[in-house]
Amino acid sequence: MPKLEKKDLRKAWRSWAMYHLSSMSFEKLEAHGFAHSMLPVLKKLYKDNPEEYRKALKRHSVFYNTEPQTGSLVNGVICSMEEKRANGQPIDDDMFHSIKTSIMGPLAGIGDSTLQGIFIPILLTICMGISNHGNPLGVLLYIVAYLAIILSLSYFLFMRGYTLGIHSVNSIIGENAEKLRDAFNTLGIIVIGGLAASFVKLSTVIKIPNGDEQLDLQKTFDGFFPGLLSLLAVLLCWYLISKRKLSASKVLIILVLISVVGVLLGVF
Amino acid sequence: MDLVLFIQALLIGIFCYLGSVSSPWLMGVTGGYYVVGRPLVAGLIVGLILGDVTTGIILGVAVQAAFIATISTGGTQNSEITYAAYGGIALGMLAHASTGVTVTLSVGIGALGLILHNFMMVINSYWNRRAEQAANDGDAKGIVWNNAIYPQIGNFILRVVPVTLAVYLGQGFVSDALKAIPKDVTTMMNVLGGLLPALGIALLMNLLIREKAHFIFFLAGFVFIAFIKNNMIALTVFAILIAYIIYLVKQKAGSTVELEDEVI
Repeated sequence: MPKLEKKDLRKAWRSWAMYHLSSMSFEKLEAHGFAHSMLPVLKKLYKDNPEEYRKALKRHSVFYNTEPQTGSLVNGVICSMEEKRANGQPIDDDMFHSIKTSIMGPLAGIGDSTLQGIFIPILLTICMGISNHGNPLGVLLYIVAYLAIILSLSYFLFMRGYTLGIHSVNSIIGENAEKLRDAFNTLGIIVIGGLAASFVKLSTVIKIPNGDEQLDLQKTFDGFFPGLLSLLAVLLCWYLISKRKLSASKVLIILVLISVVGVLLGVF
Repeated sequence: MDLVLFIQALLIGIFCYLGSVSSPWLMGVTGGYYVVGRPLVAGLIVGLILGDVTTGIILGVAVQAAFIATISTGGTQNSEITYAAYGGIALGMLAHASTGVTVTLSVGIGALGLILHNFMMVINSYWNRRAEQAANDGDAKGIVWNNAIYPQIGNFILRVVPVTLAVYLGQGFVSDALKAIPKDVTTMMNVLGGLLPALGIALLMNLLIREKAHFIFFLAGFVFIAFIKNNMIALTVFAILIAYIIYLVKQKAGSTVELEDEVI
């Protein structure tokens, strides 16, 4: 009875954590990274059965794409399924494919929105605040915090995937997790509001003649709503992307036009 | 030939490679793309290489602001962040450019970098085919080489060569260009540098705001910082509190529904 040891699992996790995207292409993305990470496990499980080994390599070389750091969960699940199959349980190729393809989508959605949408921007913002005037401490904090949190998360999810099998997915996609995620979502929305206020910078140089004096329009704005123009700039971009469905590149061009025309007209 | 500058340019090119999305050597994207590849970290590294850490970090923070919300999925990318970070910060620093100009420079370099990155992904299709063949033959070594090693050759060349050359040859060119262009153009670049974070933030909003009513949370965060200046940590704590309350409320709502189900 072939049995996986902690050592094999650790090796499989390390291969995944390193080589998930190393041969990324438009049509295969993480396909071969997945096969690569399964090597230590498959070698152990199908040591005496080259035909099964070959078939296993083949079934894990198909298109695969998810958020790689939280996606380690899937690798853990698949390791436990392969172990069961090697021990005689009837799990066929289709079962592997359907499990992989059905989890990778939701997991990518959740991973991308929580990591790239919430976690990284918040951590960056805090560290940028510390490093604002050239202090290296903020940068070092970002490096250490990111590596420590994400590497342990990825390792933990992999092992959880292995021990709980397919049920582990509930801890990320299940109902309770969804409530937790809604809460995180709110956290993210509030923080990006703060991000917008600290990093979007737009002010006008328009002066309105007011008798003998000149009225500084920007000062007037600051008096009742600081950062009003920055807020309007964000809202314009949001409107163009979510309502008018413009691509980011088109919005970029619009921003360039606004800067050019605005400066030429003496607005900014 | 300026040997010191060449070595500095080469090192910057190598870090641009190590921070790329498909470089595996620093624990994949975890230590690469999301740490070394971030403009904030690139600022420190370029500063160390060029011997001015403070300026490097200040430029790094400015470029990071424009890329604060880079989402690498869903085809919304318009600029490759690692090329932008290393090429832009290094050139901005060597040419003594302002932060706004450095940000605009970075976004331009990133747009060119995206073309090279896409070219690498096309090349990788060839290695994918070989890895697939290796899998069909049950050849583990073939999978390792065609997944981990061979594709890195293209990635290395497409990053190190252009970035090294751009930094080495671009220094004089960029500072001359900055001196020659009229003041209005520099102002435009500065205005654009301040506007660019709006695009990234809008992309994030598009991802996170699923109900229109949630816009009020965004506004709350904005007003908190705009009116009470510079208190991102305070805002984060405040946001965690609100998020926790929402979680409790949903938890409660969920459990009563379950109870009703049982009664029925």
